[in-house]
Amino acid sequence: MKAHTLRSLRRLFQGIFLFLFLFLFIQTESKGEDELGYPVRIFLDFDPLIALSTLLSAHTLVAGFFLSLIVVVLTVFLGRVFCGWICPLGTLHDSVGSFNRRKAAQTRLGWHTLKYYILIFLLASSLFTVQITGIMDPISLLIRSLSLSVYPLLNYLASAFFDTLYILDIPVATDVSEWVYDVLRRAVLSFEQPHFFQGILMGVLFFLILGLNLYERRFWCTYLCPLGALLGVLSRYALLKRSVSEGCTACGVCRRVCPSDAVIDGSGTWRGAECLYCMDCDDLCPEEAISFGWKGSREGVPIDLSRRNVFLSLTAGVAAAPLLRIVPWSGGGWHNPALIRPPGALAEKEFLRRCVRCGECMKVCITNGLQPTLFEAGLEGVWTPRLVPKVGYCEFRCTLCGQVCPTGAIVSLSVPEKQKTKIGMAVIDPGRCLPYAYDTPCLVCEEMCPTPEKAIWLEETVVRSREGKEIVLKRPRVDVERCVGCGICEARCPVRGRPAIYVISTNESRSDDNRFLLTP
Amino acid sequence: MNRRDFLRKACFAGLGLSIPGTLDSFLGHLYASEYADIGVARGASPGAATKAAIDLIGGISRFISRGDIVVVKPNIGWDRTPEQAANTNPEVVAGLVTLCYDAGAKKVKVFDNPCVDPRRSYHQSGIKDAASAVGGEVSFMDERKFKDVALGGRFLKKWPLYADILEADKVINVPIAKVHGSSTLTLGMKNWMGIMGGWRGRVHMNLDQGIVDISQFMKPALIVLDAVRILTAHGPQGGNLVDVKTLNTVIAGTDQVAVDAYGTTLFGLTGSSLGYVRMGHEIGLGTMDLSRLTIRTVAV
Repeated sequence: MKAHTLRSLRRLFQGIFLFLFLFLFIQTESKGEDELGYPVRIFLDFDPLIALSTLLSAHTLVAGFFLSLIVVVLTVFLGRVFCGWICPLGTLHDSVGSFNRRKAAQTRLGWHTLKYYILIFLLASSLFTVQITGIMDPISLLIRSLSLSVYPLLNYLASAFFDTLYILDIPVATDVSEWVYDVLRRAVLSFEQPHFFQGILMGVLFFLILGLNLYERRFWCTYLCPLGALLGVLSRYALLKRSVSEGCTACGVCRRVCPSDAVIDGSGTWRGAECLYCMDCDDLCPEEAISFGWKGSREGVPIDLSRRNVFLSLTAGVAAAPLLRIVPWSGGGWHNPALIRPPGALAEKEFLRRCVRCGECMKVCITNGLQPTLFEAGLEGVWTPRLVPKVGYCEFRCTLCGQVCPTGAIVSLSVPEKQKTKIGMAVIDPGRCLPYAYDTPCLVCEEMCPTPEKAIWLEETVVRSREGKEIVLKRPRVDVERCVGCGICEARCPVRGRPAIYVISTNESRSDDNRFLLTP
Repeated sequence: MNRRDFLRKACFAGLGLSIPGTLDSFLGHLYASEYADIGVARGASPGAATKAAIDLIGGISRFISRGDIVVVKPNIGWDRTPEQAANTNPEVVAGLVTLCYDAGAKKVKVFDNPCVDPRRSYHQSGIKDAASAVGGEVSFMDERKFKDVALGGRFLKKWPLYADILEADKVINVPIAKVHGSSTLTLGMKNWMGIMGGWRGRVHMNLDQGIVDISQFMKPALIVLDAVRILTAHGPQGGNLVDVKTLNTVIAGTDQVAVDAYGTTLFGLTGSSLGYVRMGHEIGLGTMDLSRLTIRTVAV
């Protein structure tokens, strides 16, 4: 093949898939309509690792299961072309890796087997119903990192820049910049600046993972990626093979150039499971001795896992479940009032078996209310979504989170179903509420309550002020049977900082146990 | 000429000169009674009813001049559909935008500051689509464009108001008539809260006075009260169609207090039932005494 033709073709594919991924990411936002209109989570649907781990932990096939089979079949026949040509995180790795200027033959770390041990650990823990695979799955990781950190960061930068020009009010320049800002806001930027807890941590981790490419290109893909490991296993008998002709002079260019250290020597033996099918070796071989095709010396060197390490990873995976669940907050009966789950969330045990922590729901939530947990759901539940009304309440007629959840951890509800789903209940603190504690009228909570029959009602009382004057006050009362726990009362309470009305998870309809009143 | 002649000619001259004056005031009274103080139009088409109500009080050209930059300020406060009667009827808004352009307005802007997510409110209310379709410049309100204004009120001394409102040539208030937990009813005067920035929840600590404060600052060219559908219970959001009453009525007027006072009658109340209407009447912002006003009704 002529030099660089394959590379150009591959880069085109990578560019298209990355663009598609980012386009869908940007579309994961409300435009005011009830339905999203784009299959925004489709990359997750195609992901076989997500499908497999959810199958193991929740004993259920995710909605997009059949799409993931396409990637499986693709890999079985063509090897890890997904990694080299499609994966958007892989494309980002390549982009950062292009700044890696190490020319001299560097000593590679040679940790290829590490990702298989990680995979074994994750699948073993999935088998025992722990769903932490999503933390290291590359698609899930990418969506989560972009949603919680990178996208908010870019928005902030853009707003800061354009707002400065707006304030400076330079003739002509400000008009132009406002026009550009308007275009960007319609096309790419977020409607409002997103804010996320742990956004800093997510960002640092993400940049660290990308930064590893400056040490060794495709570090993640070669040594850490569990999806890469799974695809590596599946590519064992791939029909698309690498072969080396007699023209090979053992110059070593291919080995230097290979991003995943799959080339061993000039004889054509090659770590088939490591090969990303980037075909750079084919493009760059000075003797044009390398080619990829259907006939070839088979299979490269098999994956060399030591029995001891396999055993260790298996054991660790098996031990993960009980180790994570011996703490009180993992047992039944412990209900964290701050753990308000999105409407449509399954009961906690089932929820944790399905949630892959992809961050789609947090990205799409129109009020920015869905935030990643740290310890609120226990260590096992890290980075799962919870509603924080002080950041954002749950919009009464919105059902977007259920629409984007790839595994059904949040069930997609219809609008009427959602409006009957309780995620908690509002509680008034009479020590802070204005008409209770300060003889001052307010009633913002009653006005904001979106339930058609008003879950907050007003009780008229007569009190005496400090001077002895009679005051007639309307005081809010919560009707627990009607309250759905959306949190807009807490979000809008004028007592900032620690609102006088707040939502606790008690009475959430998804839990048989976390009920307040003994009503159906 | 002698003294007699002079006096005679002076008298006739004086009489002659006073004719245009007396005729003018005489004819003026005739013209004035052409316009009603409040126009009430009933009909199946909200757009037609809007035009008819405004025609009763003198027609749109009485209020909008050629080249004007107009702000049409509807109620887009909530994430509700037109059938739920929580936001202004989109056809009334669109009808008003069309009328303004017919009168030669240069730009007609439409916006409000919703209490919930703006994207949903603008879309689900139907107002964004309806107003844009007839050339209205619909926009979400921009946080940066609020400017602190000295309101000179008794409760609200100063408050951030939206720049586009302050810079407009004419502002038309287009509220919907609804019940409201805190203020009993929400009509036109309460609708001004949508141009206020800052933390509006605080205004509820003295809501009636706050509403009067903002209303006496705003000088709308025209108020069009949407009563095509009204919300009779669980306002200001409603959500249950059982609480909606269809009246197919649109009311127009120039006196904020009077229009609100008329609006109370739709719910079986009077102007004095509302604290802010009573207070507005007392400070002379307008009149709530409907018996002193010419109210004309028409069916379209």
